Order: sequence, then C-alpha cells, then structure tokens
Amino acid sequence: MVIMKEQDEFLKQMENLQVPDISPEHPEKVKMAIMNADRSAALGVWLIVVPSYFLLCVFMYYFFHIHTGWFGSMFKMMEGLERTPYIDFLGPIILVVLPIICIIINALAITHVQVKKQNPAQSGGREFSITIKVKLWNILLILISLAIVFTFIAYVMTENISIQN
Amino acid sequence: MKLNWFTRKGIIYWPVSIAGWLIWLIALAYAVYTFIDIDGRSHSVSDTLINFVFNLLLIGLAYTIIAYFTEAKKATADTDQV
Repeated sequence: MVIMKEQDEFLKQMENLQVPDISPEHPEKVKMAIMNADRSAALGVWLIVVPSYFLLCVFMYYFFHIHTGWFGSMFKMMEGLERTPYIDFLGPIILVVLPIICIIINALAITHVQVKKQNPAQSGGREFSITIKVKLWNILLILISLAIVFTFIAYVMTENISIQN
Repeated sequence: MKLNWFTRKGIIYWPVSIAGWLIWLIALAYAVYTFIDIDGRSHSVSDTLINFVFNLLLIGLAYTIIAYFTEAKKATADTDQV
C-alpha cells in the first residue's frame, strides 16, 4: 500500500511538472566552407615556415645588424639556388608561390560565398553574400602570408627601380 | 581514392599505415643523407646547421604535402560550417 501511494504521488508530481517552452531555432541554412579550417591551418604553417625563416634571417642581418655567419649564409644559399641549373626556379616558388597557396587554402577554409535571389516582391535582383568565419589561426596565417608576399613584391619593385636608375 | 596513410595531431602528421611509415622512413633517411652530405662539404658546425635547417624544413614541407592528401578522413564531412 505504501509503495502504491508513493507511486501515485510521484505520478502526480510528474504530471504537475512545468515543462519549459522550447522553441527550437535552427539556422536557416547550413553554410559549408570549401576546405577544412584545421587542416588548412596545419598545411599553411608548413607552407610559410621556409619564407618566414628566410625573412627572419634578412631582418636579423640588415635591420638588427646581427652579422653572424648564420644569417649571412642564408643569402649565399638562396644565391646558390638561383645559380644552380634545374633548381633555379625553387627560390621564387618558396618565397612567393607557397605563401600565395597558403592564403588561398586558408581563405577557402573560412569563407562562404552565396548567390541567391532576392525577394520577388522587392527588386527581384540577385544577392551576393560573403560570410567569413572568425578562426584565429587561419586569419593569422593569411595576414602573415600577405606580409611575406608584399615584402617580396616591394623588394622586387625597389630592386628594379634602383637598377633602372 | 580514399587513402588512410597518416593522421594529424596539431601540425604534425603521423603515419598510421605501412605506406605512411615507408614515406616517413624515406623522409628520415633523406634528411640523414642530406646532413651527412652537407657535413662533408662544410667547414664548420654552424655552416652545417645553417644548410641543414633549410633542407630539413623543405623535407618537412614535402612530407606534409604528401600527408595532407593521404591523411585519414574523419567520419564527418571534410568541410566546416561557416
């Protein structure tokens, strides 16, 4: 009898429970990036590590005037690459092309591009929307890569101008 | 083609199959060969290290590119939600 009474009380309590009003709000659309952000960041680090190492040597040598053999030898190596047949193309690829690839894969990992039709009741035109996901590592890699590319472009431009003069 | 040769932990790819281990061993052997070759031609310890670090980074880059395209895919899609 006691057990039955307890069960009744329990059932009553359960019936009188106030159920929270849940109104599920799903996103209108799942926006998928073209590439995986973590994988792109992992590859991106390896793509910019060599140009970053080279730039570090340059800054240490010319801007901080640390004239050790370590930093000076890096330039000799890059010059050696340019002079060696069959691998003379490696220098520009390492210093410019790899950071550009890093920018592309990381940009594809955090952006979503969509072209959709506007409401026909309005103008009826098309709408182009770009969504960018805030992923710290991907954005940081893009910025570092941009800095590397612009540094080398600036170097090539100033070098050409000084040669012409 | 689905290849499961490597798995990623952070920015390092680790081999998980025979093919993966073979590539890892080839990369390691080439790094050792490069070190011995550079050491034979250089005149000081720093000269060896300067040239070897550059080559090691390039070997690491080539290894990572191979591993990137042959890594084990997760059950979820390869893309992220934005």
